[in-house]
Amino acid sequence: MGAVKTGMKKRGIFFTFIAITLMAVFILVFTPQADISLKKDTQAVASRISSIDSYVSDLENNYFETILRAVSYKAVLSLIFYMNSTGSFLPNLDSAFYEVAMNGTISNVPIDAITGKPLMEGNTLSNWSNKITKTAQDTLNVNTTITLINASIFQTNPWSIDSILTVNFAVKSSVASWEKNSTIISSFDIGGLPDPYYLVNTNGNYISYIKKSTVEFNQWNITKVREHIRNGTYVHWQDSKAPSFLMRFTNTIDASACCGIESLADPNKIIPSDVIDSYADYILEDPLNDVPCSELFNITNPATGGGVWDEFRYFKLDFNNTVRYNITSQDAIGTC
Amino acid sequence: MPFKKRGFFFILDAVLGMTVLIIGIFLVTSSYVNAPQPVQVSLLSDDLMDFFSNKKIKELNNPYAGIGGQLWAQGIITDADNSLLQQVGEFYAKNNIDTAEKFIQNVSKGVVPEQFRYEVWLNGTLLYPKTPSAEHIKSKSGTGLLLTSKKLTFGIINRTTSDLWGPYKAEVFLWER
Repeated sequence: MGAVKTGMKKRGIFFTFIAITLMAVFILVFTPQADISLKKDTQAVASRISSIDSYVSDLENNYFETILRAVSYKAVLSLIFYMNSTGSFLPNLDSAFYEVAMNGTISNVPIDAITGKPLMEGNTLSNWSNKITKTAQDTLNVNTTITLINASIFQTNPWSIDSILTVNFAVKSSVASWEKNSTIISSFDIGGLPDPYYLVNTNGNYISYIKKSTVEFNQWNITKVREHIRNGTYVHWQDSKAPSFLMRFTNTIDASACCGIESLADPNKIIPSDVIDSYADYILEDPLNDVPCSELFNITNPATGGGVWDEFRYFKLDFNNTVRYNITSQDAIGTC
Repeated sequence: MPFKKRGFFFILDAVLGMTVLIIGIFLVTSSYVNAPQPVQVSLLSDDLMDFFSNKKIKELNNPYAGIGGQLWAQGIITDADNSLLQQVGEFYAKNNIDTAEKFIQNVSKGVVPEQFRYEVWLNGTLLYPKTPSAEHIKSKSGTGLLLTSKKLTFGIINRTTSDLWGPYKAEVFLWER
């Protein structure tokens, strides 16, 4: 009887024992935990790298371009106000622009303090670089190091200013790091900016804002010239002898092949109104560029009643501009 | 009599073994059913952030926020090249928080499946929902899986004066109801 009992115990746990063993193996093999956590980690790293890569791309393609455009515009406007305050032209536009755009100073003095216009405070390239570094640390937990190498402006088009920024930046996170050298170019329209040439030459009494004329080169006539003077609009002529907008900052009154622009000064806004010179702005204010009276025309003709002297008395133009603006003898007579 | 007892123990043993197998299989298969959830939610939070940062106003066909829509007609939206996130940032920079909330609610309608709740924060300020309900707060604090997606955003507040806003930290929180 005892032998029979022992045998029954051994056989009684056989199936249970086999089932437990099978389940142990089954659970070890098919529990998804290990597999999923590995995938999750990989996905987390990939997602993080993707986020930071997107930030680096944004930094290079959008952020720097946007701040360069904004800072350049404010720096140029600040320089115009600075010239108005000092009443003098800039000796070197490149170095002045660099200092204002980078640090908001000119000759180590905050330019806003000189102009009385709060344009550059908190708006320099250095300020915006620090802002993005701090926000990126806070948002993505990455260290961004930005080294601003150089910033300058130039023109390739009469109606806009291009600015160029050379920058090195490094972005480091716990999973990866990026290092880039970039040259960023952006441009802004000069429309609406005061012409510094007028400001300095008239001690700030004549403010002429850049506004492009809509008249086509072959559509000029005396009526359009009158509107041109009245509205203070600017025009770009092919092969003109006029300086570009940026050349007006340094009183460089030479011909700009790409970007020369000119306006016609309103005699009512200058003192004295009667000047024996062409009223094309770059000729009028340039003592080295006086027009001989044989090539100078009063834009009036008492015999025909033509011209513009009824509104702009003493207005004169040189021969080249008289031809360009399509002013005929009906509306012009020689000054001598 | 001993034969009958032996048979009874065999049956009992088989039933126990079967029970162990059934419970084991149930446990393993149920853990499989739950496993994919974190992956889906994680992708959804990134997708929502990508939607806000990549979609532009001009690409939006929406009578409230799109070109020619209500906000456009009122002059509240002026830059068609702004991304949705930049537009939200512009509203925030101009302290137009109510419009920001309505804008987010409007443009994200149908983007997130209904079984999920989400929040949009900008620069540490909750923009959507601006005033969360008790149910919303309870759901967020009680969730087992809360995922977030973050991005920097910035933009131009006035093109004439070249005034900028930002850079701000934008965050999207997403979880299952």
